[in-house]
Amino acid sequence: MSKRLDLPDIQGNIIRAYGRFGFPKGRFFFLRIDDGDRGRAFVGTITKRVTTSVSWGPPPKGVIPKPEAPINIAFTYNGLKALGLPTASLAGFPQEFIMGMKKRKAILGDDGPSDPEHWDKVWAEDVHVAVSINAQTPENGQPLEYVEEAYQWVKSRIDGSDGGVVLLTGHRGDDGQEDLPFQDASILYDENDQPCAKEHFGYTDGIGDPVFEGQITDEHRVAGRGKLTREGGWAPLATGEFLLGHPDEAHEYPPAPAPILLSRNGTFMVYRKLHQNPASFERLLDAHAESFPGGRELLAAKLAGRWRDNGAPVVNTPDTASKAAWDQRFAAADERTRDGMLADFRFDLMGDKCPIGAHIRRINPRGSLEFGQEGAYDTPGALDDRRRILRRGLPYGVVRDRGRDDGNHGVIFMALNTSIERQFEFVQQQWINYANDSKEGSDKDVLLGNHDAACPSKMVIHADPKSGQPPYFVDEIPRLVETRGGDYFFIPSMTALRMIAKGKVDPT
Amino acid sequence: MANISGNAYALTALSPIKNGCIGEISYADEVQDRLHGLGVCEDSPLAKVPQTYLARFFILDDVFYESTPGCDPFCNLLDILSIFKDRFRLLTLPREDHLKSRYLVFSSNFHGDLETYLRGMWSAINADIKRIWEHCVAFDGVRDAEGFITYIKRCRLTANLFFMGSTDDSLEEQLKALYLKQQFVKFAVSHQGLGAAELQEAFRVFIERVQPNRLAAPTWRPGQSIP
Repeated sequence: MSKRLDLPDIQGNIIRAYGRFGFPKGRFFFLRIDDGDRGRAFVGTITKRVTTSVSWGPPPKGVIPKPEAPINIAFTYNGLKALGLPTASLAGFPQEFIMGMKKRKAILGDDGPSDPEHWDKVWAEDVHVAVSINAQTPENGQPLEYVEEAYQWVKSRIDGSDGGVVLLTGHRGDDGQEDLPFQDASILYDENDQPCAKEHFGYTDGIGDPVFEGQITDEHRVAGRGKLTREGGWAPLATGEFLLGHPDEAHEYPPAPAPILLSRNGTFMVYRKLHQNPASFERLLDAHAESFPGGRELLAAKLAGRWRDNGAPVVNTPDTASKAAWDQRFAAADERTRDGMLADFRFDLMGDKCPIGAHIRRINPRGSLEFGQEGAYDTPGALDDRRRILRRGLPYGVVRDRGRDDGNHGVIFMALNTSIERQFEFVQQQWINYANDSKEGSDKDVLLGNHDAACPSKMVIHADPKSGQPPYFVDEIPRLVETRGGDYFFIPSMTALRMIAKGKVDPT
Repeated sequence: MANISGNAYALTALSPIKNGCIGEISYADEVQDRLHGLGVCEDSPLAKVPQTYLARFFILDDVFYESTPGCDPFCNLLDILSIFKDRFRLLTLPREDHLKSRYLVFSSNFHGDLETYLRGMWSAINADIKRIWEHCVAFDGVRDAEGFITYIKRCRLTANLFFMGSTDDSLEEQLKALYLKQQFVKFAVSHQGLGAAELQEAFRVFIERVQPNRLAAPTWRPGQSIP
């Protein structure tokens, strides 16, 4: 990892998944620019507090102390237009970004209950700007104290814009609200009230978040998170998969608008509010708990590819005996070894350990699409390496009654990539809702697929062909996750933010 | 042999469309408009043509212009010579080719031999054929199936590329196989976990219902888009 990135130029949420760095709380809100001049002045003010990727801690290693509440900012196409970007620059943006998420619903499978007509009301507004606050919790005081402080600071700047910038309302809340001015999010807490990395179905989220060249210095995190090499090792993914202006896995610069100063060190963000249906999920597990050999928890592990209790990859723990042995080793291991046990693995060819339709295998096949054709491509993961996304989201809401699907609970899904079409949209369409690549017929991803009651899909849990046992079919899968809102955003570099603020974007 | 792969036949026929107009609409545009009016899937006339794996119509308006290649040592030499005479530079420019007429292209992959297929096509959809080919050069001489066969043979090209999503079995065999596969998946899913005797009995009932050896029915209909 010899590549050095210009960290003070890169917004902090690109390099760091804040949730993993001790920032359990998040608040996301959206703005409309009604006046170009005042909007640009607002961007200039906010830019001074935008958190970059510089390292935290005491000097000489750290540049600044760890912030209480990092702030980051991103723009839709219409937002950049409202801020007065020249047409020649605007025309250089990819078409999916120009269209926005709603118009891509056929590709994303946002139909039925996920159709934009059912989204939170804020998405019916003309969304221009996304502001995100992630925050630590104070040792003494209210958990949302730092969130609130940062929010009030931004809000005072909005109020001071003299109508140039408008805070959009219309987020659904925990108590039936329909018109909140922000979306709160938080990591979940376990039964002992300890913070954990789980989502509402009980799985540990974000373990396989990719690493790319220049992003981190701790080499041990590359195994299982980078790309597979022909020699069987792991290397960080090319920077250009996640940062514009850098070579990508095809040894090309990803397409980006001119001038280079506008796009370099920026990236695109997919923001999606994904509602989870915990009652439907529990019912699905219940319906198969008795008939599935191995029981309810093994079934849950086979659906996702990881066990719910500690995230153990099911490919290395395909039955209760191997899981017990793994748990013992895990309990005795140090932090670094544990991380390796969770992240560093490959999938089995036949899928009798980790099913080919398991969620983590579908969304990141880890070279298994070679389907036994050793050497089919330049590298085993050649087909996957261009479909990776950085995950930067947090869960939201609380499940008060696991017997009900309604309520306000799910995941604020944020995916970062240099090509929304090639990376996020491809995974969403081809690997989540279609199954041509995984050769699973018309099956959809169990957890995220847009399952349709009129044409219910299934999942095959493969058995070891040598065992003489039949495969197990999970059928009548209901829609477990529904889209409740979202859009496509551009996260500019700090340089680009300053240029936008000054109205000095010149593509000539 | 070209056009044939096992029992599959790849037909590509280019029928020249008459130059000229009906009122202010050219014949070719009129044909285009008629093609756009055809139904799709179950409603396509091609779904009625026996043994069709995949077929399509389109209008070939003209050939594409191939511009100057980026780097060619020979051309570069002529480029350099152009300092003496401009005709050297002009020599390097590719010629612009055009078709003398626009063409109706009919491309079909099917099972069996060409004459049987075209005879079946004529008998199934001759009204559509007459309407689609009406403005093609010399089609007014086509009166019957034999005339259609002769006509298409004159328009036929050599084709070597076949529709990948199909074997070379008869359409009935393939549609029945598709139907059986789908039904069997449903059977397997809805009967998992049964004891051997119970499963065998259910399978017997299943086989009786789906009748694997009877191609005619039950089966998947040609062109069917929804289960």
